Amino acid sequence: MLDNECMVGARDSNGGALLRNFTGMFTSRRKFLRRASFIGASVALSGAAQSCSPLFALNQAGAPAPDYRIEIAEIEWELSPKKKIRTVAYDGQIPGRLLNLTEGKPVTIEIVNHLDREEIVHWHGQWIPVEADGAMEEGSPMTPAGGSTLVQFTPRPAGLHWYHTHAMAGHDLKLGLFTGQSGVLHVAAANDLGSYDQQQFIVLHDWEPYYSASGDGSLMVMYVCGSINGRMLGYDAPIQVRGGQRVLFHILNASATEPHWLSLPGHRFKVLALDGAPVATEASVETLRLGPAERVTALVTMDTPGVFVLGEPRDEFRNAGMGTVVEYAGRSSKPVAPRDVKLQWDYRAFADPKPVVRKPDVIMPLVFTSRFKGHGALDQWMINGKSWPTSEPILLREGLRHRLVFDNRSTDDHPIHLHRHNFELISVRGAALSGVHKDVVIVEAGTIVEADLVANNPGDTLFHCHQQDHMDSGFMALFRYS
Amino acid sequence: MLAAAIPLARAQNNYEIQVYGADTVAPRTTMVELHSNFTADGQKNFVGTQYPDNHAEHETIEITQGINDWSEVGFYIFTSERSGQGVQWVGDHLRPRVRIPEKWRWPVGVSLSTEVGYQRARYAPDTWDWEIRPIIDKTSGRWYWAVNPALERAWHGPDVKLGIDFSPSVKVSYDFTKKITGGVEYYADYGSITNIASLHDQQQQIFPAIDLNVSPDWEFNFGVGIGPTAATDHWIIKCIVGRRFQWGKKR
Repeated sequence: MLDNECMVGARDSNGGALLRNFTGMFTSRRKFLRRASFIGASVALSGAAQSCSPLFALNQAGAPAPDYRIEIAEIEWELSPKKKIRTVAYDGQIPGRLLNLTEGKPVTIEIVNHLDREEIVHWHGQWIPVEADGAMEEGSPMTPAGGSTLVQFTPRPAGLHWYHTHAMAGHDLKLGLFTGQSGVLHVAAANDLGSYDQQQFIVLHDWEPYYSASGDGSLMVMYVCGSINGRMLGYDAPIQVRGGQRVLFHILNASATEPHWLSLPGHRFKVLALDGAPVATEASVETLRLGPAERVTALVTMDTPGVFVLGEPRDEFRNAGMGTVVEYAGRSSKPVAPRDVKLQWDYRAFADPKPVVRKPDVIMPLVFTSRFKGHGALDQWMINGKSWPTSEPILLREGLRHRLVFDNRSTDDHPIHLHRHNFELISVRGAALSGVHKDVVIVEAGTIVEADLVANNPGDTLFHCHQQDHMDSGFMALFRYS
Repeated sequence: MLAAAIPLARAQNNYEIQVYGADTVAPRTTMVELHSNFTADGQKNFVGTQYPDNHAEHETIEITQGINDWSEVGFYIFTSERSGQGVQWVGDHLRPRVRIPEKWRWPVGVSLSTEVGYQRARYAPDTWDWEIRPIIDKTSGRWYWAVNPALERAWHGPDVKLGIDFSPSVKVSYDFTKKITGGVEYYADYGSITNIASLHDQQQQIFPAIDLNVSPDWEFNFGVGIGPTAATDHWIIKCIVGRRFQWGKKR
């Protein structure tokens, strides 16, 4: 099922890329039909059209026919009628198309790169081989400038994941995750996450980054505006609900660096899964916190009729666009925004009521520190005193339970991510827990988080802070199976 | 800035000796600074009715209120203490300032300050004056520079007829550590923009200075100034201690 064969013919009357194979996934399809205009439309559109030719060539040569194609190109995107940005995106839209895969069913995806530089797409949260993972540090191939690559893998595990660029940005805030190169990868399981009346995919992103002095004297990245599903608050069609409906929200924070909070006034989120993995306790919370790259799957029962903003409870972020409107049928009024919300989040709320104690085979301390490089420079980051790429690989032994001790001795919070595996949280701030499996965890400044990794997917595995500016400043290491 | 506001060939009044950076104080934040300047070797004689400043201790309280993310207003209380004169109120100034918002993502920081105020004739012959101060700065790695090409005008006093004065100041510094920054500050008054004074009559001061960045809430600056020209106080010791107070509802 080649979704965008030929993309030119698959555009709706508004110029948005038509999601022919995925429209059934959205109860509100128009949310994902964005008005996008390619920069140099002739280049991008002709690129899309031409991309049919090499595809046929591939087929004739006996190469597997791709199930999906992802086109990487520059676009001009309308966050709101008053705010247009130029960025790089997948398939001419922000976020990229929803890829809905089936656990255990092999998939082939063609990546077509219309840029004049190499790119690479990472399948975040998937337990797949190095060749497919999409991290050049592990040895995955990059997609050459103006070229294409085929990626094949068998999706697992099920749940809410995502795909995004894994290219370095360095100091250039127009590259890497600062662009719009991200989309939702939803892997369906035989057993669904429960009954619901509709589901909504929510992707957070921050835009127009700039460097600013932080309170601790180091340089940090700030943003002019933010969006949900590629639109600033007030400029997207509302999510339409009916009283009594159960709405399953799949929420992804695709920001390059910024953690976000989300609230829906008068409603609570029953959290079913974190980073795609079902939680031990489906706790209900008023507010969600998502670090960069974290995902939350949560059920909301629509039992408070009205019009609301699902968005950042912090004024400065919501006023900059981070929100979308939820509207009950038959209601029309000024949306009620989340305010005076207690920003409180604890992974332990979703853990086993009584922690299951497991004995590790190996204990691996991982100490996070930084080195000051000037008030006008990014700090250099280190894991166990070494910065990527000069650090030596950290050895794993297949089949063993490794207790990773994330010891954050810096003054920043870090969303720590492990490729091709996930880990189970064992302790946070000294408090034991079990039953929470993640592939990204926020390790708050000056705290220790312990997590167990069972080494069961051989191959080099990248470990890093998911803040783009941190990973580009040395906060990476390679785990290698010995 | 009163220090640079006094036209040359007259005694100096070193009340605030500081090269401005482009940043403004954040909204819902009040910055309180104490500027302590001691003239170790300065003007020893009366200039007309104006007191000499040799061995004078000048204490200035500066209170700056952040309005939004691109503007602030500062208020100054100038005082002087000298043997035989006791502690004397000298005058007050008001200083609104606007900046290019950071989110405009300009390659350099830019702001524009204007200052107006009164000082007693015993301490400055021109009792009312006005200043406009463009501010440009840039931090790059461990290096920082700022330029303040200020223009000044006396509104009341003998120097009204002199017109607009050019009083630039410059700072270059280097971050030795996260907490310690060392650099050089330069202050000058070249005289009227239409009639630049001779070097002999210009005011020129060079301050090797240290900034301590011990906390985001505190500001420390210390320097020793050398005045090489005849019209300049020869030795000045300056110290700035600042404290930020955040108030109101946190967003």
